[in-house]
Amino acid sequence: MNIFAEIEKILAELLDLEDSDITPDTYLIKDLGAESIDLLELAVAINNRFKIPVKDDDIFLGCFRHYMSEAEQQMADTVPYIAEKYPFLTKDRIKEIAARTVEGPQLKIRDLVDYVTYQLERARHAGNDDS
Amino acid sequence: MKRRVVITSIGVVSSLGCTPDEIIMSLKGRKVAFERQASDGEVVVAPVRNFNIRSYTGPFKDGRYLNRGAQFSVASAIDAVRNSGSLKESFARAGLFVGAGPNLDIGGEFPEVTKGNIDRNDLQALWILKFLPNTAASVISQLIGIHGENLTVSTACSSSLQAIGEAYRKIKDGYLNCALAGGGDSRLSSGGILAYKKAKALCIGSGKPEKASRPFDCGRNGFVPGEGGAFFLLEELEQAKKQGSEIYAELCGYGCSLDAHNMTAPEKSGRSAKDAMNAALKEAEVSPSQIDAVSAHGTGTVLNDEMEANIIFEIYGKAQPSVIALKSWIGHAASACGALELAITLACMRDGYLPEIRNLDEPCHGEVKFVRSGMSAPFGTAVIENFGFGGQNSALVVKSVY
Repeated sequence: MNIFAEIEKILAELLDLEDSDITPDTYLIKDLGAESIDLLELAVAINNRFKIPVKDDDIFLGCFRHYMSEAEQQMADTVPYIAEKYPFLTKDRIKEIAARTVEGPQLKIRDLVDYVTYQLERARHAGNDDS
Repeated sequence: MKRRVVITSIGVVSSLGCTPDEIIMSLKGRKVAFERQASDGEVVVAPVRNFNIRSYTGPFKDGRYLNRGAQFSVASAIDAVRNSGSLKESFARAGLFVGAGPNLDIGGEFPEVTKGNIDRNDLQALWILKFLPNTAASVISQLIGIHGENLTVSTACSSSLQAIGEAYRKIKDGYLNCALAGGGDSRLSSGGILAYKKAKALCIGSGKPEKASRPFDCGRNGFVPGEGGAFFLLEELEQAKKQGSEIYAELCGYGCSLDAHNMTAPEKSGRSAKDAMNAALKEAEVSPSQIDAVSAHGTGTVLNDEMEANIIFEIYGKAQPSVIALKSWIGHAASACGALELAITLACMRDGYLPEIRNLDEPCHGEVKFVRSGMSAPFGTAVIENFGFGGQNSALVVKSVY
């Protein structure tokens, strides 16, 4: 299954995009104009399409800045601290987002793909454990 | 000086066509869209074929929250704005009055809730919006940029005529200078059909679909569900003149009332329905003998048509107007019927044409002047009337400006 293509399909339908030129580096909010109501629908749609649990705060990185300041308060290293909260993000991606949070929401389509991939992997392992 | 209210633009989406000219062509060519319903062959419906809301709105994501009735509302409102030739900016202070019905798509849309959970994959996060009656108003206001006084009216089959009546009053009384008013509805979903079939309100049978809707005929046995939408731009007369707006007709009287009698059946004597019609005539400052035509509610149900024929006869006495029944052409568009029937009546008024009541072989009243064959007949004044479940009555008086 091409996860990116599936997410692209969901977004095109949800946001009624005619010629979507979505790439993994497209920003969901800045480029596609998604609003909070759209994120609600997107979470429901991803849950339905991939049959995975979707936590809105996780998939949309809603607490990223909050975790950054938590790490700061606890004098912990930001990247490992956030990696524990968002295990689906690579360390490089966390660094990239952390450096640019002041510019506004950094959520990209690739983050959604990584979230889905991670959850599908987890589900597969859970299934293997059962057998 | 008394403020007068005129209609300066019409947007309509109907099974007879989507412009006044198309509607007149269908009426004169006797073209109707009645057909057997796909999932229940006993029932005849009158759908708007090939309707696609995106041809009115272009791509827009909130379309996902519009039920089919709300789609007709939005499409016809946009069409009315477009046909007015006015800039979108001029609508900022306009009012918005929408007649809306419930979404009855219970099979296709409404989920079964078991132990507080809903087991459906296609359920939207905000599925509630497809069921809220003001969703159409919200979308129309966003697309056009309307900020003024507003109201969503949900009084069953009387809704959209009352929405237009309330808008008329707001302008007449000086609260607004212009308003968009109308409504859209569809009950053609399997849930909608089921609802009216169980209520024994539908025409059930196996004959030719075109024969199903027969208002005021002795052999009538129920209505044919239809769908569509119509919106009107209402303006204060002096403002309309100043702007050089095209004037279709003057709205000059409105009345509404409640039977306080029964959940579905009209009160037999039609006393309250008559009150609504008399109030509209009084506000219009016309006597019954000055009315040329009546667009009857004429559902084709046994009870409505009997009551309605009697009160038409009583109100107009020796000067009976020509009575048309547009549900014999488009079926019953539920909460949108008043707006659609006003749009069609105005198209007829402009063309000077009175369409026959289809399938009227044996009239249920001998003295009422039912139009039996389509004819060229200039008419300058008309009453539109609608009655709804719950004993809701309304009437509107329109005058030609020609």
